[in-house]
Amino acid sequence: MNDRSFHLHFSRRRLLTATSALAFAALVATAGVTPALGEDGAHDGGDVVFLIDSLGDTWIPNNSAISSFQGHIWGHVTDKLLYVDADGKVSPWIAERWEQNDNATEFTLHLKTGVTFSDGSPLDAPAVVANLDIWYAGRKSEGINPIGLFPKTYDHAEAVDATTVKVFFKKPTLGFIPTLGYHGSILISPKTLASPASAQADLGKTSGSGPYVVESWKEGDYVKLVKRQDYNWGPAAVGQTGPAHLDTITYKLVSEPSLRVAAVQSGQADVAYNASPQELESLKSEGLTVATPRYLGFVNGWAINTKLAPYDDVKVRQALQAGINRQEIVDTVYTPDWKLATSFIQSNVPGATDQSALLAYNPEKAEKLLDEAGWKKGSNGIRVKDGKPLSLTLNSNPYLATSKSIDELISQQLGKIGWKVDIRAYDVVTYGQKVKYGGAGVPAYEVTRSFIDAGTVASILTNANNGENWFALDESDKALNDLRDKIAGAGSIDARKPLLDELQKYVLDQGYFIPRTQIVQRIYVQSPKLKGEVYNGVAYASYYTATKSE
Amino acid sequence: MSKAYFDYAGKRLLQAIVVILLSYVFTFVVVSILPGDPITNVLNNPQNGFTPDEIKEIIAAQGLDKPISVQLWNAFSGFVTGDLGLSMRTNRPVATLIGEVLPSTLVLASAGLAVALFLAAIIAYGTQFLPRRFGQGLLRGFPSLFLSVPNFVIGLVLIHLFGFQLGVFRVIEPDSFWATLFAAIALGIPISAQIAEVLVANLDHESGQDYAAVARGRGLGRTRLFVMHLLKPSSLPVITVVALTIGELLGGSLITEAVFGRNGLGSLVQRSVSTQDLPVLQAVVSLAAVVFVVVNLIADLTYPLLDPRVKLLGTQQRRPTAADDSSLPISKAVTP
Repeated sequence: MNDRSFHLHFSRRRLLTATSALAFAALVATAGVTPALGEDGAHDGGDVVFLIDSLGDTWIPNNSAISSFQGHIWGHVTDKLLYVDADGKVSPWIAERWEQNDNATEFTLHLKTGVTFSDGSPLDAPAVVANLDIWYAGRKSEGINPIGLFPKTYDHAEAVDATTVKVFFKKPTLGFIPTLGYHGSILISPKTLASPASAQADLGKTSGSGPYVVESWKEGDYVKLVKRQDYNWGPAAVGQTGPAHLDTITYKLVSEPSLRVAAVQSGQADVAYNASPQELESLKSEGLTVATPRYLGFVNGWAINTKLAPYDDVKVRQALQAGINRQEIVDTVYTPDWKLATSFIQSNVPGATDQSALLAYNPEKAEKLLDEAGWKKGSNGIRVKDGKPLSLTLNSNPYLATSKSIDELISQQLGKIGWKVDIRAYDVVTYGQKVKYGGAGVPAYEVTRSFIDAGTVASILTNANNGENWFALDESDKALNDLRDKIAGAGSIDARKPLLDELQKYVLDQGYFIPRTQIVQRIYVQSPKLKGEVYNGVAYASYYTATKSE
Repeated sequence: MSKAYFDYAGKRLLQAIVVILLSYVFTFVVVSILPGDPITNVLNNPQNGFTPDEIKEIIAAQGLDKPISVQLWNAFSGFVTGDLGLSMRTNRPVATLIGEVLPSTLVLASAGLAVALFLAAIIAYGTQFLPRRFGQGLLRGFPSLFLSVPNFVIGLVLIHLFGFQLGVFRVIEPDSFWATLFAAIALGIPISAQIAEVLVANLDHESGQDYAAVARGRGLGRTRLFVMHLLKPSSLPVITVVALTIGELLGGSLITEAVFGRNGLGSLVQRSVSTQDLPVLQAVVSLAAVVFVVVNLIADLTYPLLDPRVKLLGTQQRRPTAADDSSLPISKAVTP
């Protein structure tokens, strides 16, 4: 039937009936989606524009570097088995409950029912097994990487029934459960996982089970997310399980920092990511919301290369520990949003203990230790031993914008007690190539790193189990190795706690790790109209619970 | 058209092909000898916790463990047959990546060129006919002013004034008409300077010629004189300058795109350089070389057709002095 005959056959009466039916249908339809007013006048609907400095590299889920920009998008498009909040508390999400055997080698996960991926396939036990397998092994020859931080002790997983998964490990792996809440451990549809790397690299073809789906995207430009109406399995810990409130979230790349902030100030966007710390006070006074959530992980500091003279001498390392004025760093480079380091792990990590006494600024003590170690002050103020000056080369971390300013301040502080400090700044690629833990000519490697479970810390520090051997100690420090083995073998959190405290004390007292400040790597400047976002354990903002007023 | 012209054209075409091939090999070698690549860089990041064996396996799967000569041959044979390969960084086809960003850059570059030509024409007209007391001399200073203000400063000023203060365009919609226009202005201003300089110098020369005096003596109006008599002979060298400017339009678009948040070829290059994504860089540089060479080839080939006085260098009519600059790939044709 063409348009013309349609009009001819459409009688007046039928037209009336049709119109009233349409009107009624419209009424019914709108009744269902009438904006539900919340307590503070918040209502459903609204679009959010989030300005970001990069969208990261590849969208193959496992290949994106763990601490990355993609985490923002994955956090809305995918779900995780467990939720980990900003205090490191683990709570149910897709896994409703879980059990483990006594020596932490077998875990049983019980899944929520009725969860589906956006391609329609169910998020059931076989889907979880498919995800666990690819997190552990990847498909390397096809260019799909494993998740580097996934426990290497993984043996296999099996689907007991549609909602029960049993996971087996070769050795005790207490860190497995918290790892499921890490932002790398995202659940992707088995259909997507089975597709080749080039298809997985297309974000638009990836299906997760999250509260949002990708509506459209363009590499290096933007990602537009639209909410899933049937979403009903959010983490109870955020106080909401149904669909999200905001209709769309658009991540738009604006590489110039001042433009990101100015766009939020002028109302053209809602969130600006990564503003300069120095700007934050004035932005707050303008009425903008500023959030500086800390992630669970290591503080910003140095892993010292104990193979490189003079840092093979414990007294020199202890002098370095005492010679840094950490309060001055917070006061000069940052704002009160930044916190003093109290250990070498962030204070919100479960198991972190307060070791402030070991980190107190004490230049007299530092000078005394250096005198004892045989480093005598020369006429130019620089200490010398056997004709060699006391020197320290700092490689400013290119991932952290404030790194170089802190290095400059520390160089002044250490200069006063006789250190000759050189600062080197490389671009990201060269830094990745040249600066390594314990690398030749790298006395101090600057650490910025998130993790979920403090249990992983000990094995990273040494070289056991493919550990990273941060202090180039190999197997030489028996005390550290004993602590590492005891922590790795601990069957419960309670048994592990005193061991972790001992580890923190030991590492700081030996001057193996020199903390600078607790790290805030993600800074959010937000319009006051947008409210109710949640920051998880790795400091990513989730707008699943957020609302926007007119 | 004479045999001399075809000899000249054939020789220029051959040169153009050699330049494109050389630029391909040069880019490959330069990027290859730099340390690192996106894959190894991600893998070596201790945050990802890959074991050395895993790293070796993944690198082998990407063919990055092969000698550079083998990698070059593989890439080159792909390039010649039209297969640009996969981006190391994004794992997506290079052709797709370029296809996504090319339209934005083409729009910006052509709008920028249009702005540049328009500004240059206005300045040129003004320097010839604006009375001295209305700032004719001042106008002559404009090109140097335009050249000395960096492109990104102009961009930021335009964004803050028109984007944020006056709300003419939204920064988050950089492809909208007004945002594109202001980006084109930022891009076009420095480029207009060079075109204006050449145009003004030629107008000065032509307006001193006898025929211009005769025309003026016959009582021809200023605009008529400018458009009908002076503009055409003065514009010929402008063709060469515009052709040369193509390179600058591409280069300038990198900065302009970054400032205005446009996602074009420039931003793709910037992302690929910072991660050393060789297949993408290779393709973009080769594409830029092709565009630059082709535009200049067209300029060189049309020049002798537009102005019969032009001597064809590189043919039998070559003058002894011309041998010196015969190695230059561009502006072979010169006015006597």
